[in-house]
Amino acid sequence: MTVKVRFFARFRELLGTDILLEKKSGMVLATLVRELAEKKMDGYEAIFDEKGNFREFVIVMRNGKRLELSETMTVKVADGDEIAVFPPVAGG
Amino acid sequence: MLSERERERYKRQVMLFGEDGQEQLKKAEIFIAGAGGLGSPIAIYLAVAGVGTITIADMDVVDQSNLNRQILHYDRDIGKKKTVSAEEKLTALNPDITIRAIDCRIDETNAADLVGNADGIVDAMDNYPTRYLLNDTALAKKIPLFHGAIRGFYGQATTIIPGTTPCLKCIFPNAPPKEVFPVVGVTAGVIGTVQATEVLKYLLKSGDLLTNRLFIWDGLLARGEEIYAERISCCPACGGLNPETTPGGKKK
Repeated sequence: MTVKVRFFARFRELLGTDILLEKKSGMVLATLVRELAEKKMDGYEAIFDEKGNFREFVIVMRNGKRLELSETMTVKVADGDEIAVFPPVAGG
Repeated sequence: MLSERERERYKRQVMLFGEDGQEQLKKAEIFIAGAGGLGSPIAIYLAVAGVGTITIADMDVVDQSNLNRQILHYDRDIGKKKTVSAEEKLTALNPDITIRAIDCRIDETNAADLVGNADGIVDAMDNYPTRYLLNDTALAKKIPLFHGAIRGFYGQATTIIPGTTPCLKCIFPNAPPKEVFPVVGVTAGVIGTVQATEVLKYLLKSGDLLTNRLFIWDGLLARGEEIYAERISCCPACGGLNPETTPGGKKK
């Protein structure tokens, strides 16, 4: 009965490592991540814009498949889902 | 044919992949985009491994603030063109290979020519617009793109085989905002050597490439992880592209 959310790189630094959430199945994916991120304002601001949408470069994966950010507002999480949220890094 | 000197130079790796493998490397041509943080370890390790022709392009001049990570360049090189400095070091490391260092900005007018007949493109850039251009070039030429990027203690890498694996746009459709990124040299070392390892494996046709997987390195946690990645069928860059009929390294 759990959904696992994994933040990577800088997002992990701000929001913590793998987070297991219980009784969240059926919730809209973006809402779930927003709820989690809201606990730490700097973490929230790194991932979401002022309108509360995912910043356009944020990568959201559900069970290994990348979702278009528009999809995250309708897709509902299911038991056993693993959600990965990470920022691409750009340096070289 | 390997010379006596080459046989001796590559003795310890010929134990791994034989003289045939070494010949494959000698025949190979690799294009490295960038002679900075990632480009340094990539070029150094491909040069000492005996990749026959290495083309490396960069438009910058060595700055003091580069030296914490760009190990091709020394304090005495400050003010020199990075291509001049890179060519000097790489030739000194291995005089038995050909280094072509090209001082230029990579853009849409010259990318295809710069890459020429290379067997693969190594992404050692520091920005996504140029990375997307390298991605397009690799897709057009149907040659692999060895992607890597770093920030702070974090890094990512993946190997893109046109028409087979997700391309850079499938995984990263939008570039992160531009910034002066914090970075420490060791991260460039980790990711650059992962990319160089991929190049060697591809040329030698050995092992399993980092395909359909994004490798994510977290130096702070000392943890490497991977995220499975799929092609996006409607990808604006690679949608509709089919795999090459003869996969694997190009024969010359």
